Amino acid sequence: MIQTNELTKTFGRDTVVNAVSFELKPETCVALLGPNGAGKTTTLRMMAGLIHPTSGSIHLAGRTHKDIRQLIGYLPQHPQFHTWMTGKEFLVYVGRLANLTKSTANDRADQLLVRVGLGEAGSKRIGKYSGGMKQRLGIAQAMIHQPKLLMLDEPVSALDPIGRRDVLNLMEELKQETTLLFSTHILNDAEEASDHLLLMNDGHIIESGSFEEVRRRHAINKIVVRFDESDSQSYLESLRSLTCVNRLETKKEEVHVYVDDLAGARQAIIDIAAKHHWPLVHFEVGKMSLEELFMKVVDQHAVADRI
Amino acid sequence: MQWLTVFNRESLEAWRNFKWIWVPLVFILLGLMDPLTTYYMPQILDAVGGLPEGAIIDIPSPPAVDVLMMSIGQFNMLGVAIIVLISMGTIAGERKSGVAELILVKPIRYSTYVTAKWMNYSLICVTAVSAGMLSSWYYVSLLFEEIPFGHVLTAAAFYSLWIIFIVTVNIMMNTLVKVPGVVAFLTIAFLIALQIIGQIFQYAANWIPSLITSYIGEVLTTGNIPEELWWTSLVTVGLIITLLVIASYTLKNKEVV
Repeated sequence: MIQTNELTKTFGRDTVVNAVSFELKPETCVALLGPNGAGKTTTLRMMAGLIHPTSGSIHLAGRTHKDIRQLIGYLPQHPQFHTWMTGKEFLVYVGRLANLTKSTANDRADQLLVRVGLGEAGSKRIGKYSGGMKQRLGIAQAMIHQPKLLMLDEPVSALDPIGRRDVLNLMEELKQETTLLFSTHILNDAEEASDHLLLMNDGHIIESGSFEEVRRRHAINKIVVRFDESDSQSYLESLRSLTCVNRLETKKEEVHVYVDDLAGARQAIIDIAAKHHWPLVHFEVGKMSLEELFMKVVDQHAVADRI
Repeated sequence: MQWLTVFNRESLEAWRNFKWIWVPLVFILLGLMDPLTTYYMPQILDAVGGLPEGAIIDIPSPPAVDVLMMSIGQFNMLGVAIIVLISMGTIAGERKSGVAELILVKPIRYSTYVTAKWMNYSLICVTAVSAGMLSSWYYVSLLFEEIPFGHVLTAAAFYSLWIIFIVTVNIMMNTLVKVPGVVAFLTIAFLIALQIIGQIFQYAANWIPSLITSYIGEVLTTGNIPEELWWTSLVTVGLIITLLVIASYTLKNKEVV
């Protein structure tokens, strides 16, 4: 439904977003996950049209309106309102700006206020709202014109546990009716609210897909071995003949041995290596979980060659 | 209609924070200050004292039009400062605080956003300046001599054009920078520069907007509208439109955050 092509943004000498390409399918909920400073906010702002990409483009499928903004709802990281207005007034105001008629804007505002749990507070001035209430009002204002794509920038990161729960429940409902893209730096939130993820680090999308796919891709039992000789053909044959080995992959000098039973396979390989005096220089038993993967990214370790 | 939505919200804001009340009040006070102090100057000097016994204070009463022009001089100094102060954050402040991030992701035309705000502030300022001129005229007519109301009305109409021009410059500066203080500085610097240029090149370029103030003296005295004033007004209207176009264009091409 929306597609970005090589989206790039540079501020002075810094490339904050670097050739980001992805596609969102209609009616999916996607988490844009990454550590602080990964370029998540900049990506969302470009998609919302608030800042212009240095290069690259954004395509919205089935675009009937001239103005892309008609189809997009956006909640910034720290939403600011006209504090002298009431919640209801503000919703009606932005509804009217999104080309709703007066009565539709009114009805939508009432519905949304109830829905985000601000039914009573709708007639209070926004200046008196708590952080959680502002966040919920922010979601309501983004939804006012029933956008095809709803983008939320860190919708739960700044909230206390109760506010966080409220907003997550709300997002659960919203993803039934619209395509939802939200950014977060908290893996649990991403996992809980969405079924797809885009993992971003240092301006790049480094991993994407459904959680299950990504998990499967990384939570694989494997043993990595490397030999002191360039010709490891004979050892490969022996490895392949082991019953516990599913398949082999050679990457440069490393041999990745995919197995089911990690403990048994480790013993079997060590046994055969000892028996035939293999010139092993590297032996690693690996099992990368999503958490580990994410932590690696957060710790700014080199992840590029692991995935 | 989007334009009315933005305009109504702006007016509502101006009512809720009492701009619609205190700005005209300030101009009314500015307007009556000069007629009163000029008229009562001998008494004031007398009361303050310090003059030797038997000194005769004989200050000739100035022409009525001069007193009204003094008030307009006040509007040009303090009045302009107030106009700039109340409108310096209208766009810049919204962008700085982040409200613009919510407003400008809605499918709103940038020119709508700019002109609705411009209209709101123009209305407030023209109303306030007119009220100030009326109060000055009332006291001048009471304490000095009658100035025909028609003359004052014509003068106020032309002077309003200069006021709207100031508002427009300010709105344009609002789209250029994000910090309200800098907006105020740029606007005032621009106006001062324009006034200096107007004074120096008055005979070469008699259409500079800041000269409107000098031309309305004649309107007040004779009721005639000098030809230069017509030309200046035409140029001013043209500049106002140009500035509004530039403002909309800048905002559209500028990154909101």
